[in-house]
Amino acid sequence: MINMENMVICRCEEVTYGELLSTAKEHKCTARELKLRTRAGMGFCGGRTCRVSVDKIIENTVPNASAGDILLKYQPPVRPVTFGSVGENQ
Amino acid sequence: MSDVIVIGAGPAGLAGAIASASNGLSVTVLDEFIKPGGRLLGQLHQEPSGEWWNGMKESERLFLEANNLSVDIRCGVSVYNLEKDENLWNVHTNIGTLTARYVLVATGAAEYPVPVPGWTLPGVMSIGAAQVMTNVHRVQVGKKGIIIGANILSFAILNELQLAGINVDRIILPEKNSISGKAGEPEEVLKTLLHAAHLAPSPLMRFGSHFMKNNWLRKMAIHFYPKSGMKVNGTPLQLRIAAVEIVGKEQVEGVKVANTDAAGQVIPGTEVLYEADFVCIAGGLYPLAELAAVAGCPFEYIPELGGHVPCHSETMETPLGGLFVAGNITGIESGKISMAQGTIAGIAIANHAGKVSSTIDQQLQQAVQQVRSVREQATIQFNPEIDKGRSKMKEIWETKFAPLDKEYSHKKIV
Amino acid sequence: MNRILDHPILGKITDRKTIPFQYDGTTYEAYKHETIAAALLANGVRKLRVHEESGTPRGIYCNIGHCMECRVTVNGQANVRACLTVVENDMVVESGKQLPNIVKRMVEQG
Repeated sequence: MINMENMVICRCEEVTYGELLSTAKEHKCTARELKLRTRAGMGFCGGRTCRVSVDKIIENTVPNASAGDILLKYQPPVRPVTFGSVGENQ
Repeated sequence: MSDVIVIGAGPAGLAGAIASASNGLSVTVLDEFIKPGGRLLGQLHQEPSGEWWNGMKESERLFLEANNLSVDIRCGVSVYNLEKDENLWNVHTNIGTLTARYVLVATGAAEYPVPVPGWTLPGVMSIGAAQVMTNVHRVQVGKKGIIIGANILSFAILNELQLAGINVDRIILPEKNSISGKAGEPEEVLKTLLHAAHLAPSPLMRFGSHFMKNNWLRKMAIHFYPKSGMKVNGTPLQLRIAAVEIVGKEQVEGVKVANTDAAGQVIPGTEVLYEADFVCIAGGLYPLAELAAVAGCPFEYIPELGGHVPCHSETMETPLGGLFVAGNITGIESGKISMAQGTIAGIAIANHAGKVSSTIDQQLQQAVQQVRSVREQATIQFNPEIDKGRSKMKEIWETKFAPLDKEYSHKKIV
Repeated sequence: MNRILDHPILGKITDRKTIPFQYDGTTYEAYKHETIAAALLANGVRKLRVHEESGTPRGIYCNIGHCMECRVTVNGQANVRACLTVVENDMVVESGKQLPNIVKRMVEQG
């Protein structure tokens, strides 16, 4: 566990394992709340790379949160779009 | 407007497009990548028969077949949202919104990330990235690399990198932590590898399977597992070495590793640095289902299928009218299974659309049968319990959704 | 890095044409129909951007458009995925830079 504390989990927002773990322990929260509190998964890729890791942290830290219970919650857009192109399509 | 929009031009999407188009429907296929084929493009391995499975050729074959049936294949198109409006599906993309009565979501799989300290450095990539760079773009990813993570996917791609003349120095495990989980535990990794042993191409694995099924022997084997590793195709597989940190200033220069005990705990004071100019992280695959999720499709968590999968019937329909799924989005299996599932979906869509030829029921039954027989003959199986996973989904569909489906079909006829 | 021009199973590449493009002011050669990420790696360039706030170096990670790590500026358009974008003749590619205020920049680009 040499550099684990400072290991980046969310590459887009550079949220570390230490930060996620301490927030999860303190608030005993859902994966969604953990993301809102730390900004993990809120960056450019929309959580594509880190969501699995964030879910696992919750699964392993918060009592009674099992993998199957963590809701598969996605919100559009699932790909980054410019404000312009969303506007044109509505 | 097409009758069908297929999202994803991989083996499932293209096979689905071909089956729908052969039954008289107009089909548009969308894909983000620069050419059709999906993950099939990079696949290259030798079958037990000695024949090569050449994903690039298979992709070309599917593309030509689809093209001959006037399927409109558009590459470089990203879909960012999917929603139903009355009877039509709106597929929102970077080139505008397309509509169709039927949508086949065949978005395949994404790779599990395994975070390692230093993994944001240039030169660190997912193992799938290395596969695409090597076999699709034909550019070497580096001179000397280290693979972190030992699983079926990493073995398959190791072989592909070696074929292209790329030196993979060693395969090691990620350090055990609450994210890497079992992938960081030598005994668990060995167990998983041996599960797939009779299917694995490597002689080591075949050798191992004979006597390592016994728990006690396996424990002994991992206890006495040589530090230098055992060779897989000439590359040491070091199950008792963990990646502690990837180091480098502007890009990868090496990986700091440490010896571990049989459970994966790092033994302090054993750290050494292995030089490398690239690192591949191999965490395995999970179904990439975000578009089915934003569309509102119900999901089930089925670990044997790779995680959360959209609920679907054996004929690839979802509980949402007009929405079908096929390929790795329904569970992680080989490209051949994806193709066979795509064919089912394509025929099922034609059936729903009322393109009833005298043979359509027979076609559909044959296609379902085809998936089963391909699965039985599979040389690579990502999850040894795939059958269990498929049965679970079938049961869930039959208890939860099949009655609803009858209502729906009834309405459709009226 | 070397290109894999002769592959034991996939065969030889012999007929590809080269085109020039620019990356951060230097001219490189790409093969026609290849991605920016592949062309740059073939020229030995791994670093494609730095993190907007911290400035840490980044390159390709997933290579198929999922992770957004390879985003570069192409002919003035920011946040283009190098792994999904094919090089064109005389294309001007710039690496992603460190920004003084990311929120402000995002609003400007919108």
